Amino acid sequence: MSEAEITTNTGDSPNDLVENGLNKLVVKCKYCGSKILDKKLGKYILQEKELPLMQQDTRKEGEIQNEKVNQFYHVENMFTFDNIGFTHTVDCYKYLSCADCDAGPVGYYDMNSKHSYVALSRIEHA
Amino acid sequence: MAKTYDYLFKLLLIGDSGVGKTSILFRFSEDAFNISFISTIGIDFKIRTIDLDGKKVKLQIWDTAGQERFRTITTAYYRGSMGIMLVYDVTNEKSFENIKNWIRNIEENASADVEKMILGNKCDLDAKRQVSKERGEQLAIEYQIKFVETSAKDSLNVEYAFYTLARDIKAKMEKKQEASNPPGNRSGVHQLKDSDRQRKPTSWLSRCSLL
Ligand SMILES: Nc1nc2c(ncn2[C@@H]2O[C@H](COP(=O)(O)OP(=O)(O)OP(=O)(O)O)[C@@H](O)[C@H]2O)c(=O)[nH]1
Ligand SMILES: [Mg+2]
Ligand SMILES: [Zn+2]
Repeated sequence: MSEAEITTNTGDSPNDLVENGLNKLVVKCKYCGSKILDKKLGKYILQEKELPLMQQDTRKEGEIQNEKVNQFYHVENMFTFDNIGFTHTVDCYKYLSCADCDAGPVGYYDMNSKHSYVALSRIEHA
Repeated sequence: MAKTYDYLFKLLLIGDSGVGKTSILFRFSEDAFNISFISTIGIDFKIRTIDLDGKKVKLQIWDTAGQERFRTITTAYYRGSMGIMLVYDVTNEKSFENIKNWIRNIEENASADVEKMILGNKCDLDAKRQVSKERGEQLAIEYQIKFVETSAKDSLNVEYAFYTLARDIKAKMEKKQEASNPPGNRSGVHQLKDSDRQRKPTSWLSRCSLL
């Protein structure tokens, strides 16, 4: 799976990954393979969001580097996840991380709606 | 959407500051230059899915803030939690002595049937040890709580501890269900026998310091 390929595909959902609007494959951590979400439990949505980069450049002290992400799996109930970490709250959001290697953010949790969003570009499909 | 699990248990990590609660929840990292975004913000809780006797069990594991002292932790804090990991540091006598205070606090504030387990953490630091494994075992016997020495650093016994606590909560819940249901309705629920639950405690009690 190439990141570039996916992020340029903004119109229709990627057929190899999404079926009936849901994730066709198991969602895993890119780094350690930990199972995050089982197949068919995340709803594919398009929305533009800024997510902090997984690796922050320590030379740029005090500022958080973000990137725009627009493909997500929407998960209404947090207990739908297999394994996932939730950070402390920052401005009404919690960030999602791998429960095994703590890589992240792989998405975010909205404190108001209590829904979670997993970025397709930050995870691996298997 | 259909429920994707059989049980959901909320667990808390409790203990003095510096005993390693956050390290038990978070992957232990000795990098002096850990630059991941997640580590700067810190983890509030994790959700983990485990299989216990064919049942899908979700664990929601909460870290607790370091500054909290047992004097200030009240009912609200424990609300809904079904299991508590009481953590001390084997290189810190005071943190061990305070386990009694934590237990008293739990008895005063948490629900009466909350499952507990004592963890003697940092057992990799044998040269600095102040609390012997035997004293940990003795305390556990005194309170009739399970005990294991752990090392968050070496990931030793950490997973084992969570499985053990979860298994005990599940057994307790099934016992309760059994009590409130007529026996005929119980098909499919595998009940742990007492002998299963108590299986050879010495085998894991002795594991940590041998390694
Ligand atoms: N050698 C060793 N060091 C550990 C272990 N667990 C934690 N530490 C170290 O102990 C220190 C304190 O660990 P924390 O996880 O921050 O302790 P805590 O219980 O979360 O402390 P508070 O958040 O203040 O309550 C850190 O420097 C850890 O690296 C362990 O198993 N072995
Ligand atoms: Mg901590
Ligand atoms: Zn991972």
